[in-house]
Amino acid sequence: MATEYVKYVDVTKCDGCRACMVACKNWNDLPAEPQDFLGTMQSHANVSADTWNVLTFVEHENSEGKLDYLFRHSSCYHCTDAACEKVCPENAISYTDFGTVVIDQDTCVGCGYCVQNCPFDVISLKTYKDKNGDEYRKAHKCTMCTDRLEEGLQPACVTTCHTEAMEFGEKEAMIKKAEKRVQEIKDRYPNANVYNPKGVGGTHTIYVLTEKPSVYGMPENPKVPTSAVLWKDYAQPIGKAMVGGVAMALAGAFVANKFFDKKNNQENRDGGGSHE
Amino acid sequence: MTNHWNDLQNTDCALIMGGNPAENHPISFRWLTKAKERGAKLISVDPRFTRTSAKADLYGQLRSGTDIAFLGGMIKYALDNELYHKEYVAHYTNASFILKEDYDFNDGLFSGYDEATRSYDKTKWAFETNEDGTPKEDKTLKHPRSVFQLMKKHYDRYDVDTVISVTGTNKEDYVKICEAFCSTGQVGKSGTIMYAMGTTQHTVGTQNVRAFGIIQLLLGNIGLPGGGINAMRGESNVQGSTDFGLLFGDLPGYVGAPKAIPEHATLAGYNEKETPPSGYWSNKPKFMVSMLKAWYGPNARKKNDFCYEYLPKGNKNYSHINLFNAMYKGEIEGAFLFGTNPVVGGPNAGKEKEALGNLKWLVAADLWETESSAFWQKEAGSDPSTIDTEVFFLPAASSYEKEGSVSNSSRWMQYRWKAIDPKGESLADLEIIHMLMKNIKELYKNEKTAIAKPVNALYWNYGKGHHPDIDLVCKEINGYDLKTKKLLPGFAALMDDGSTSCGNWIYSGFYPEEGKNRAKNRDNKDTGGGNYLNWAFAWPANRRILYNRASADLNGKPWSKEKAVIWWDASQKLWVGNDVPDFVPAKSPKDPGGDNPFIMTKDGVAGIFAGNLNDGPLPEHYEPFESPVTNAFSSQEINPAVQIIEGEFNLKGNSKEFPIVATTYRVSEHWQSGSMTRNQEWLSELVGHMYIEISEELAKEKGIKNKDKVIVSSARGEIEAYAMVTKRFKPYTIQGQKVHHIGMPWHFGFKGFATGDTANRLTPHVGDANSTIPEYKAFLCNVRRAD
Amino acid sequence: MSNQLGTQIKVKRFSKGFVVAHAVNGISFFALYLTALPMYTEWFDWLYVLFGGPENARFLHRVFAVTFILPTIIMLIFDPKGFFNWMKELVTWKKRDLQFFTEFVKDLFGLKFKHVKQSFLNAGEKINSVLQIVCAILLIGSGFTMWFPDAFPKALVQWGYFLHNVGFGLAFAVALGHIYLSVIHKNSRPGFKGVITGEVPAWWAKDHYTEWYEEEVEKGNFPDVDIEKEMKKPTGA
Repeated sequence: MATEYVKYVDVTKCDGCRACMVACKNWNDLPAEPQDFLGTMQSHANVSADTWNVLTFVEHENSEGKLDYLFRHSSCYHCTDAACEKVCPENAISYTDFGTVVIDQDTCVGCGYCVQNCPFDVISLKTYKDKNGDEYRKAHKCTMCTDRLEEGLQPACVTTCHTEAMEFGEKEAMIKKAEKRVQEIKDRYPNANVYNPKGVGGTHTIYVLTEKPSVYGMPENPKVPTSAVLWKDYAQPIGKAMVGGVAMALAGAFVANKFFDKKNNQENRDGGGSHE
Repeated sequence: MTNHWNDLQNTDCALIMGGNPAENHPISFRWLTKAKERGAKLISVDPRFTRTSAKADLYGQLRSGTDIAFLGGMIKYALDNELYHKEYVAHYTNASFILKEDYDFNDGLFSGYDEATRSYDKTKWAFETNEDGTPKEDKTLKHPRSVFQLMKKHYDRYDVDTVISVTGTNKEDYVKICEAFCSTGQVGKSGTIMYAMGTTQHTVGTQNVRAFGIIQLLLGNIGLPGGGINAMRGESNVQGSTDFGLLFGDLPGYVGAPKAIPEHATLAGYNEKETPPSGYWSNKPKFMVSMLKAWYGPNARKKNDFCYEYLPKGNKNYSHINLFNAMYKGEIEGAFLFGTNPVVGGPNAGKEKEALGNLKWLVAADLWETESSAFWQKEAGSDPSTIDTEVFFLPAASSYEKEGSVSNSSRWMQYRWKAIDPKGESLADLEIIHMLMKNIKELYKNEKTAIAKPVNALYWNYGKGHHPDIDLVCKEINGYDLKTKKLLPGFAALMDDGSTSCGNWIYSGFYPEEGKNRAKNRDNKDTGGGNYLNWAFAWPANRRILYNRASADLNGKPWSKEKAVIWWDASQKLWVGNDVPDFVPAKSPKDPGGDNPFIMTKDGVAGIFAGNLNDGPLPEHYEPFESPVTNAFSSQEINPAVQIIEGEFNLKGNSKEFPIVATTYRVSEHWQSGSMTRNQEWLSELVGHMYIEISEELAKEKGIKNKDKVIVSSARGEIEAYAMVTKRFKPYTIQGQKVHHIGMPWHFGFKGFATGDTANRLTPHVGDANSTIPEYKAFLCNVRRAD
Repeated sequence: MSNQLGTQIKVKRFSKGFVVAHAVNGISFFALYLTALPMYTEWFDWLYVLFGGPENARFLHRVFAVTFILPTIIMLIFDPKGFFNWMKELVTWKKRDLQFFTEFVKDLFGLKFKHVKQSFLNAGEKINSVLQIVCAILLIGSGFTMWFPDAFPKALVQWGYFLHNVGFGLAFAVALGHIYLSVIHKNSRPGFKGVITGEVPAWWAKDHYTEWYEEEVEKGNFPDVDIEKEMKKPTGA
């Protein structure tokens, strides 16, 4: 496996300018999605098929009653153990050498399994119309600009970030950087932490947070859903085996019947003896 | 800016007041973030907890329009606690000057006030002088008539309790802020003040900035890296536009425009009256004559006063407010709107829209049809059948579709190249103006009338064809030695005898020789101190930190190693360092004037006391035009030198009917009147609706829930908006009474993808006493649910 | 053998309602499987082409999902008695039901076996019914969460996928057995015809479902027949 990369997001340096959102739409050619007024500066309640990253705004009164206004660049986390990849029935979702998780649009059938199983709610379906006017759907999410990575560029959001709140670099180095940064800001933010959740094997977007993840609207302990593990690691293979097993048994039965039929062809009835 | 964006990284403390750079000047945060990593403290003072406040170490809540109270208290704090830089104050400022007995201050009024004209006789604020005309000084600062002592007395009234009863700031926060910022008075530390329209758009806007100046001089922060007073300009080229004379009182290079007064009738008279005997402005005649040579070319001759007579001269205030007042009264026939949208951006915008209807013709050059060029349409609330104005719309090219330069807040003239051809019929502004002028000249060429003369005299020679040769324009700005026909190396070479030409003296030297347009420089290697001298060209003379001589002590040695910019190198007999010295390069500290770092001023020192402003030599707190309370500092409610337009053009609300303080501001996602950004879908989706920010407490009182539609009203009008109920606004306690404060973006109008009511329908038509900038930032309103 | 006169006596085993319900159920079941197979395993992706793309497959899957729910309703409307009898059968378990299985295995592989007296459904069919009902509940219930994910808590939707998958595997295995026994396995083939026509040979019914048959005889609904004689008659079908 090639070097794994990580997008490092230091929320303490983010000034909430949202250039990352525009840069994303620009590079990925995504249309605008006008929203109703949400009652906050946040533009979209969540990421969507056409809005792959959303800057979240949270007004938070900390334990000392001091107001914090928290900004966070939120998009796909690119899990090491990605539930979406696990549940995709078409193998349309895959890991790249960079450690990113991407959806192959040609293979995607729009079933939405990934949408429902993502522990972070970052995948959405988009409805398209084909030339006959029939609707079809495809799942979309942040690709970490894998197309840019392949050309030796960085993700568009990272490139545009002027405060260096975001960086893209080798996984180990970024994790070290995050840990160091947390130590630096502990005085001011006693709850500071690195967000790189183990329940999904770690992520390829890691955060330096000033407060508990839940304050930012992030899951505290995200994991691949147990149901998805049982489904894909047990039910599906067992189911396939079972179907195969029954089919084999029946085939065996068929052959055996032919065999015994020949042997007992003088026998009457269906071979069943009389009742006692 | 005295300093520049990149230099913010050198600061130890940034006081951000009247600005919200995280939202409106985000790139500043690239540098502030670096400063923070070095341990710098950020202070945000704002009526509302902004994205900047979120990034700051200290936040101070401040009622809109009370900056001088806040800063006056800080001045007192620095003086009382002796946190000021004593040597700097004594030697580099006019604190030691002795004032004549005429100067006085009593109950909000300085001496020399004339109530009838609402103006001061500024001669009452003069210094005692020696026989040679130089001011009398007391370097011990102990003389009771010294600026220092009188300033101390002036701000003695600004004790913490009085201040916070006016500003509404939490006492503990206030003291912490004073302590943090005044700590930069120590040698080896520097503090910067960053401000924007929250400072200037007040009836005391100029004095707000003056208060910054006093603090920075007391703390010895001017001329130092990471110091200075830094105006964050709101448009990419607003610095360039003021540099090039777009302010009504100035010609290019901040040379004062002549007026219709007898002394200004001739060039000699003008020079006599406007040229100080000492300081760099003593060269003003060279700047003026060289500019006239650039404008009138061979027609400008010594014997015809270099066509000085053709410069327009008037005695009126030609500011935005007064132009629209005249338009409202039907005194103006036609107008050009170049990339401006007063129906959204002007104060009391409803009236400005009406005023446009009194024009015979209106030419609007813009990227899109704006609310102003569409002022006559039904969707503007107008009745087209009653409007006779003929509107011409000229499609303009965007910045990517044309070549030229912009000058940013750092005073950097940065050249930009065209990326794509203009769409459709749109043209660059320069081309529009070029064609217009060529046509006008053609129309007048056979006339000999008084009107035709200046048109015919104008030297307009920028190549053939529709598009002017922009390189010729650049060279004209830089200036020529007319004898050798060579480009000038800089403004030091300018002459007042007609042998040099120069379009704008402060930019002279940006194009010193053929093929060397320094605005095109793009070397991003740090040349030391974060000054990047080979990136673009900074006026004047590519100097990055103004007054940088003040970073060194009297002997030319930096006050501290940490904050060194330039220093005297005795072996070379030159000032050397990380920047272009803001000083005569070979003038030794021991030479006469060698320890006077502020070369632009007459006395070579900075003005803690400024006798040339209309509303007083020391900043004094007055309440805004509309205020919920009475002035705690004096019986003068509003700045006594402000001109007030009476009548229906500028209705005034009272605090009974309109008890809530309101302010306006911008968001990152939209730009100015929104005509560029609201026509951009990706930005429109980010902030798609007009809203007001309102505290949880006020919302509760008014029965307003988050996302409700509300009506905001002022004496001038009503608008509808969504309510954003937020913890980031808190009610104020002002003089013991609860005062509510709201805020709203002013970007919205009826055109584009993101539409909404225009906040400026609420704002008043009253301006600052010096600049006449409108008081957008503090007015009274009321709020109710829309249903 | 052929000297016996007359055709086999038929008895009514299934009501019209059941026949229809069973047919709708069966067809829906197959259709659902076919339209879902490419999602279950990529070996069947070619089926998408057959259905005109994933969207159409999904559409058909949902159409048949609706028809799959119908049999219960059909039964309840047209043959409520039969439905409740069936339900009763399923919850009635006696010793004979357990004995059945040892014999069934022999039967299945064509070995000699004895008929254990069975009621309307033999124990195997009961198991089949129970499993199919359980699977149907699983599949239909989880199908709802999958079809309308926004109407359910996310955890339920996630478990829905698992249950749908379990239901898929289980129902498929059960159905394979059921179909094999009815269509291919020679000894139960009359039952296959019966589920289409509603009638089965009396001897076969008596032989396979003795207890039920005898009850019906007692009620006077069916004639008592001699199994050995009857089965030698032509089927007359």
